[in-house]
Amino acid sequence: MVHTPSQVQATATDIASQPDWVSGLRRNDPATVRALYAKHFAAVRQYVLQNSGTGNDAQDMFQEALIVLWMNVKEGRFKSGAESDPGGFLFRVAKNKWLDVLRSAAHKQMKVVHDERTTDAQAEVADDIDDRIVRLRGVYDKLDDKCRVVLDQFYFERKDLATIAADMGVEEESIRTIKYRCMMKLRAFRHTIAGEDNTGEV
Amino acid sequence: MSQNPMDRNRFEEIEAYVLGGMSAGERVAFEQEMERDALLRAEVELQRENILAIELGGMERTLGSVRTEQANGPVKNAGWSHYLKYAAFAAIVISGAFWMLTRPSTNERLFAEHFTADPGLPVPMSATDKPAFHDAMVAYKLGDYAEARGKWSVLLQAEPTNDTLRYYIASAALAMDDGATAIPLLEGVVAEPSSTFHHRSQWYLFLAYLKVGDAAKAKAMPIEDDPMHGEQVRAIKADLK
Repeated sequence: MVHTPSQVQATATDIASQPDWVSGLRRNDPATVRALYAKHFAAVRQYVLQNSGTGNDAQDMFQEALIVLWMNVKEGRFKSGAESDPGGFLFRVAKNKWLDVLRSAAHKQMKVVHDERTTDAQAEVADDIDDRIVRLRGVYDKLDDKCRVVLDQFYFERKDLATIAADMGVEEESIRTIKYRCMMKLRAFRHTIAGEDNTGEV
Repeated sequence: MSQNPMDRNRFEEIEAYVLGGMSAGERVAFEQEMERDALLRAEVELQRENILAIELGGMERTLGSVRTEQANGPVKNAGWSHYLKYAAFAAIVISGAFWMLTRPSTNERLFAEHFTADPGLPVPMSATDKPAFHDAMVAYKLGDYAEARGKWSVLLQAEPTNDTLRYYIASAALAMDDGATAIPLLEGVVAEPSSTFHHRSQWYLFLAYLKVGDAAKAKAMPIEDDPMHGEQVRAIKADLK
């Protein structure tokens, strides 16, 4: 069983008119991720290989691009009328990220074969998205394994408490308590960070 | 954001809002409250971002799995398939020899077949009187037996006669295949007929004896008529003959 959360408060009309890949990413569907990988990775791989990169580099760039795409979906930047094929977006983001790598100190001597960088992807991607991703990773890293086991299933896999409890062989009330305690630990950590930064924002 | 502890009902209310689990009426009322309450707005944003962080962790794990699948795609060199049957045969011979050398004893096999860790006690929110005990119980329920055992052992030093602590430390030890630690703790609880854990301790002591290879002590335990495990005890004793 799954509950029906929506990270972004999209209307029923929005959701009905979304391409399948948008609704798939919105609900963290692994099959959608696999389909995007299967359909669009080859173009990124070809570009990176042509420009001094390796297969692993290509995988890294594509994964980063997919995370950016997923964040855009989660934050409601893809609504009705969005491009139906995300391949162009993924390619542009991955390409720009690879060009950034090539321009870094370690790669200054490398020759870029196809530098047709446009500002399209930059315009599509919020300026702070990379910083936001880094910050969110830092938050997730603070969770211990016990909390991840429960929180991942509830918030990422979208299982309900009864299903998680049954899978783990414990009572639903215990899972509910564990979830609450783990989220309060995360809240306390964020308060600590806010205090250290003294910016009022975490 | 307030640094005060947040009540669970309030937490779950915010969670329902963020996850879209409120009715239309509840949502309107909640949003009206948010308009008036800056602290509530900050809490909502904080929780929204914490949930997004958890989802990001899951998404990156999924991407890692997909990447591994891609890397382990179909083998393109068909020439190797000719040798696969020889490799498979060799693997069977090697694994057979390995099994012969490392096969478990009858006692260990019976323990593995019949042992299931005690499911533990519920961890209700109302149980605020013994937070250290319940923190350990959370670890136990999540399969982190070492952590649970460590936390309970500290508590046992202050309450050495506490049968609940002795029973669950023994349960955690047995789940970690440590029969030697479990036995004296369980023997103590078995010696207390009034304990809530008396009957369960008999069953686990029986299994603990098997675990350490002391079949004679296991066979000497007169628990064939145990209402919960009597049938298993009889079957195990029959196997031990």
